[in-house]
Amino acid sequence: MRIELRDVRHVYSPGTPFAVEALKGVSLTVEPGEVLGVIGGTGSGKSTLVQHLNLLLLPTGGEVLVDGADAVSMDRTALRRRVGLVFQAPEQGLFAPTVEEDVAFAPQRLGLNEEEVRGRVREALGLLGAGHLAGRSPFALSGGERRRVAIAGVLAMGPEVLVLDEPTAGLDPTARGDLMGLVGRLKASGVTVVFVSHDLDEVAEAADRVCALEGGTVRSVGAPDEVFYDDLSLAPATVRVAAAVGERRPGFGRPVRYGETLAALRSLMGGAA
Amino acid sequence: MTAVRGVGQFYPVASPLHALDPRAKVVATALLVVGLFFVDSAAGFVVAGSATALLVGASRVPLRAFLGLLRPVAFIVALTFFFQVFFLREGPTLFGWGFVEVHEGGLEMGLLLAARLLILVTTAGLLTATTAPVALADGIEDLLSPLKRLRFPAHEVAMMMTIALRFIPTLGEEAQKISRAQAARGADFTSGGLLARARALVPILVPLTIGAFRRADELAEAMESRGYRGGHGRVRYRELRFRARDALALLLTILVVLAAVLL
Amino acid sequence: MADTASISCKDLTYSYTGGFGPALSGVSFEAGQGEYLGVVGPNGGGKSTLVRLLNGLLAADSGRVRVAGFDPATEPFEVRRRAGVLFQNPDNGLVAPFVEDDVAFGLENLGVERAEMRGRVGEAIRAVGLSGYERREPHTLSGGEKQRVALAGLLAVGPEVLLLDEPTAMLDPPGRREVLERVRGLRRSRTVLHVTHHLEELFDADRVLVLNGGRLVADAPPEELFSDADLLRENRLVLPTVPRLAVDLGLPFCRTPEELADAVEKRSRDNSGVEAR
Repeated sequence: MRIELRDVRHVYSPGTPFAVEALKGVSLTVEPGEVLGVIGGTGSGKSTLVQHLNLLLLPTGGEVLVDGADAVSMDRTALRRRVGLVFQAPEQGLFAPTVEEDVAFAPQRLGLNEEEVRGRVREALGLLGAGHLAGRSPFALSGGERRRVAIAGVLAMGPEVLVLDEPTAGLDPTARGDLMGLVGRLKASGVTVVFVSHDLDEVAEAADRVCALEGGTVRSVGAPDEVFYDDLSLAPATVRVAAAVGERRPGFGRPVRYGETLAALRSLMGGAA
Repeated sequence: MTAVRGVGQFYPVASPLHALDPRAKVVATALLVVGLFFVDSAAGFVVAGSATALLVGASRVPLRAFLGLLRPVAFIVALTFFFQVFFLREGPTLFGWGFVEVHEGGLEMGLLLAARLLILVTTAGLLTATTAPVALADGIEDLLSPLKRLRFPAHEVAMMMTIALRFIPTLGEEAQKISRAQAARGADFTSGGLLARARALVPILVPLTIGAFRRADELAEAMESRGYRGGHGRVRYRELRFRARDALALLLTILVVLAAVLL
Repeated sequence: MADTASISCKDLTYSYTGGFGPALSGVSFEAGQGEYLGVVGPNGGGKSTLVRLLNGLLAADSGRVRVAGFDPATEPFEVRRRAGVLFQNPDNGLVAPFVEDDVAFGLENLGVERAEMRGRVGEAIRAVGLSGYERREPHTLSGGEKQRVALAGLLAVGPEVLLLDEPTAMLDPPGRREVLERVRGLRRSRTVLHVTHHLEELFDADRVLVLNGGRLVADAPPEELFSDADLLRENRLVLPTVPRLAVDLGLPFCRTPEELADAVEKRSRDNSGVEAR
């Protein structure tokens, strides 16, 4: 599915002295099958934006289109199944005695039969590399494992688009690495992924396209190298290294991912450049 | 997002009531509340009611904060009122319509009970709206401290109050977050019968409880590491000072209560 | 042995009841006054256990611990007035409903006189850059601000030693910067033991300890540790991008993109020079 935001505005507590305009006219398209990274500082509107993708928040201006049709008039419940939203620190919501039962919560709500539910659970846990945890208590797991199980709980609804709000926040670097590896796997299984992150290095590694938000508006959107090399203040460390090298060696190229950057530097050092 | 200032919470403005010693306010509130149960004349309620109205005015807390406080009890007030009006058959009949009869005694009782409830809630609201939670806890600790000799844990009770006040907003936010997350997994809290709705709360209550226990553990550790050993040898940061104006406030309260009771 | 060190541990061993094997075994190290020590290692390596042993929240099974000259197991109160702990989750460390009351909490426990308390609370709040926040309620603060309030609560007590137990793990990048900036300002004036997963926070540390499986597997200056690819891999330590590129390219330790670009430039000149010859 393609989700299109057109000039979306959102005002919290409109008409009161506490009114805050969190989104000031955002236009953005989530293309089917892509991994879209959303970056921006605190208060840039990232979390507000992602809640418009499944209409958990309704725009106070502009429109949200799903495959070209106005999403506001669609069945809200069905839309929320198609667009799975994983909030920050989703492991706070784990509640069942075993991982399996917890992940089964969403598919059970969909009215699937027992066998289908079990299939969904297995598949979701498998994709997140957590199949071996099925029989464990979610409260006896490590932070990274709990996070993965919680994401599986949303993935088990079978969404076409998975929206992750700060999926790696609060995890140690090893668990972060594991989790970002999953984004690639999700994409390979045909799920569109939108993920919000503070960590530019992470976005550089995983995103097909990047959207940078600032003060409730889109500052730039496009391929990672376009966004990052246009404004180094938004750039991850790899790009800043490559840009610094490029100043000394014009024509160095515009690598973004770690592997690309390492390879480019190696070939330069080897004298092959 | 922005935290909502809850009903009955401390309202930080400067007013003569805010400036009073919390102990004076707690005692005055207790006197008013107890006194109200002995007030049984219309004149008495007029005195108590206007005194309360004056205090609300003096508190500089916006009226809508009190209206918000009264909303949840409005139903009980109305129920009490109608119950007395329609079922208490004392004194001359004011009017009768089929089996419905309203007697003078019933109407009077209904009005008195309603007034008593409203004044009661407003008084309690005045105390919490004009007294910072820490000061309230300190005041209660002081007032209860004579009971320490009877091994009553006055300090512990006050500390529990302080911690509860500190964590209520945090737990409220957490409950909101969890319910949003469960809603994203298809949880439905609004349809079905009472039992179904109660069951739908399990995915919120379980994580909330587990989270609260984890918090309690970490808090206990943090308190211990900051040298907390109970009330022994502790010096409180805030000093409570009972000044002339506090004595005056208490004296006035006693006079008002006496007048209301005796009238 | 004279206890001139702020922290000294000798053969420290601790097992949790019901745990698999010791959480710490045979750990020995010292931190001199004003030293800044980092502690890293995988989860379950013993980092948090160490902090708890140093503050008397746990008592060692065997071995000798001294913090500011006292044994935390037998004289925890003496240790706690000289060594403060900054925990991971600031939300669960703040006790009072107002910032200023929370900062005063440790002083209240020590029985400091009220007039002195006022002065020290004000000073501590200023030291973490939160003047004007005295009457704010903790739940209205950002994560970084909450953690700074917690830090002010420790500083008010005036400790010789600060034990930081992953204080930035739950913060966003701006919050992390805020807290680190304040912590960095304390270098040399206190002895700091800083547990973290973010190695970049320890670039300026005097030494870094690596704990894995309850054992102290390394105790070395950061430049040395962070350019040892094998050691990093064995202990599941992930370097930030810039020094990681440097390690992978076989270059010396680099912190900034500019440093790395210079090193690359230099090395490629040398290499092409070699080829040209």
